Amino acid sequence: MTGTKTQLYSRQGLWSLFLMCAFPLHFWTLLLAFRDISWLTERSNLWDAIGVVSYGLLFAFVESLMVFLVVALLGLLISTKWEESRRIALLSILMFVLSLWAMYGQAHFVWNLSPSNWVLKLMAQSGHPYRVIFSITFIEVFLSIAVSTFLVLRWDKFFRFMQEAIDRISFLTSLYLVLDLIGLVIVVIRNI
Amino acid sequence: MDAKMNRHLNRRDFLKLAGLLPLGVATPRLVRSLGASRLLQAGKKNVLVVVFDAFSASHLSLNGYQRETMPNLVRLAERAIVYHNHYAGGSFTTAGTASLLTGTLPWTHRAFQLNGIVAEPFVTRNFFSAFQDYYRIAYTHNGVANILLEQISEELDEWVPWKSLFLQSYGESIRNLFEKDSDIFSVGWTRNMNIKQEGYAYSLFLSHLYEALRENQFTDLKKLFPRGLPSTGDIVNDFLLEDAIDWTGNRLTLIPQPFFGYFHFLPPHIPYNTSLEFINRFSHDGFKPVEKPQDIFTEGNPNEKVLKNLIEYDEFLLYVDREFNRLFNYMETSGLLENTWVVFTSDHGEIFERGSIGHSSDALYQAQIRVPLLIFEPGRKTRMDIHTPTCAVDVLPTLSQVNGYNIPDWTEGMVLPPYADASPDQNRSIYVIKANKNEKYAPITHASTALIKGHYKLLYYFGDIERGIDELVKLYDIEADPEELVDLYSSQKDVADELLNELKVKLAEVNRPYM
Repeated sequence: MTGTKTQLYSRQGLWSLFLMCAFPLHFWTLLLAFRDISWLTERSNLWDAIGVVSYGLLFAFVESLMVFLVVALLGLLISTKWEESRRIALLSILMFVLSLWAMYGQAHFVWNLSPSNWVLKLMAQSGHPYRVIFSITFIEVFLSIAVSTFLVLRWDKFFRFMQEAIDRISFLTSLYLVLDLIGLVIVVIRNI
Repeated sequence: MDAKMNRHLNRRDFLKLAGLLPLGVATPRLVRSLGASRLLQAGKKNVLVVVFDAFSASHLSLNGYQRETMPNLVRLAERAIVYHNHYAGGSFTTAGTASLLTGTLPWTHRAFQLNGIVAEPFVTRNFFSAFQDYYRIAYTHNGVANILLEQISEELDEWVPWKSLFLQSYGESIRNLFEKDSDIFSVGWTRNMNIKQEGYAYSLFLSHLYEALRENQFTDLKKLFPRGLPSTGDIVNDFLLEDAIDWTGNRLTLIPQPFFGYFHFLPPHIPYNTSLEFINRFSHDGFKPVEKPQDIFTEGNPNEKVLKNLIEYDEFLLYVDREFNRLFNYMETSGLLENTWVVFTSDHGEIFERGSIGHSSDALYQAQIRVPLLIFEPGRKTRMDIHTPTCAVDVLPTLSQVNGYNIPDWTEGMVLPPYADASPDQNRSIYVIKANKNEKYAPITHASTALIKGHYKLLYYFGDIERGIDELVKLYDIEADPEELVDLYSSQKDVADELLNELKVKLAEVNRPYM
């Protein structure tokens, strides 16, 4: 933590933030796209299956840009009394938390997960199951955001852990971006 | 290319036609009076082939189905020739449609892969080339069938653009960027954005935004289709069958006669998004289909899901029925019906059994390959039922003959009863082939095949490496056991061997050019 005001974002900071936004989006796209390859190949052929994955990567890249823009703008709301690396770490962990919740929401359908019977029974007994679900979800999301924020801003050990994680994830995401480029080439070839 | 473009009805053409509407009102009468004498002289009448995609004949009460899925068709059938044992050439759109259009089986036309096209000779050997002096018009909702129409579009006077009968959606402008790869783009786009259908999508955030935007589009229409708007299954291709029927009915009164029209509508193909009017019509009717054991071809769907889809499919058929009836009424009130052969059929069937839903199964059970065929002959007032096995490849030679053309020598079909000179051969061999994983121009070594002969049906699967099937043979007596529950292969081995031998001889014959 620092008491002096710093610049909003450096070029390196923006790049790191972009990579952190791109990571969960690409991870999820690749996870689902590779699940689809076998049935796509079976119903059509491998080249078409690769085409679908390529479109997936292309859209993931576009989505990454859009999400990055929103996150970067939201980052302007964070006081610049925090040094840039800490603000990037905060925005990154918020991005991860929200992505995890989004993945969790979809995972129920991907892997046919459902809450245990006693939870469903309890909610049904409440008389207002939807209100209960929304309230619980809201509390969970709010708490996860609050805890993440606290950890990054107030606990240096966690902040350093985040910095290390960002470094490693940045490398992985750079590989994803190479895949994006290959996907783009494939999409162009398919549309010539 | 320009010449080809000129023959398609584009938006500008459509607007021009709309401008001529007042004239159009008078045109049918004028055309009828001018055309009638010519038609009489030539003995040629209009032909309208109406295909409803993925329509299984097993779901028709005309064939003994317990649900009344097509009440209007049943009524109209009193003036038609009804073929009860009619088989598609293939078990999915490309193969089935190509067989219907070319009058040849998949091992001949070679369009047996998804998104495939016919072998070069069949670009000029098809319905449209057979009816050269007709005004030839074609449309399909089905993108895969549209690939075939595109390939043979030189033979068409009017190839109605695929997108022209769809509702304009948010994804449309993005799709235009990838027009040359529109099918795979559509799959990619759907997998990315369609979170509503499966509950998950590649996109974590944009899919929700897109869904919210879509929810606010066509809100009035969506009230009429609680299960979702009819669509091709991807999320930029919503349509209303009503629009397509209205357009078709109007267009047929405007085009020159005699015409040959091929209209291939998507319903009842999945997604089974029926109209509000038919929702829950069958959900509590107590009907329980025969339970069938899962086999090696099962897609593993739980029984509840299969039954739910079955109900939704049957309710979607009610929508098809209503709209076909409207088209028929258009034809009747405009006077076209007097001079038009109307053919009602499908490209392949649909199954809801043994854990499989749809038509992607390799099994070739009856529900997937037996399709409706009704021929409404001009002036016919009585019904005729034909129980002899017939095939999609028979439609082309039949329509050629009844309109005074020589039967093309390249067709593999036969003239259908009662139009054939000879009495129908009850022991004729009917073949159905699914070879979507086989190389196009190579011997067929990986396929599902069916041979229907008399009351027997032989299923022969070979080269299926994924399932570890080198050869698998099944035999059913489809007259005594229409549900295909008892495999007679072991108990009637002599019959099975005889049919298998015939099928293998046929395969050797069709493979010869590719050896």
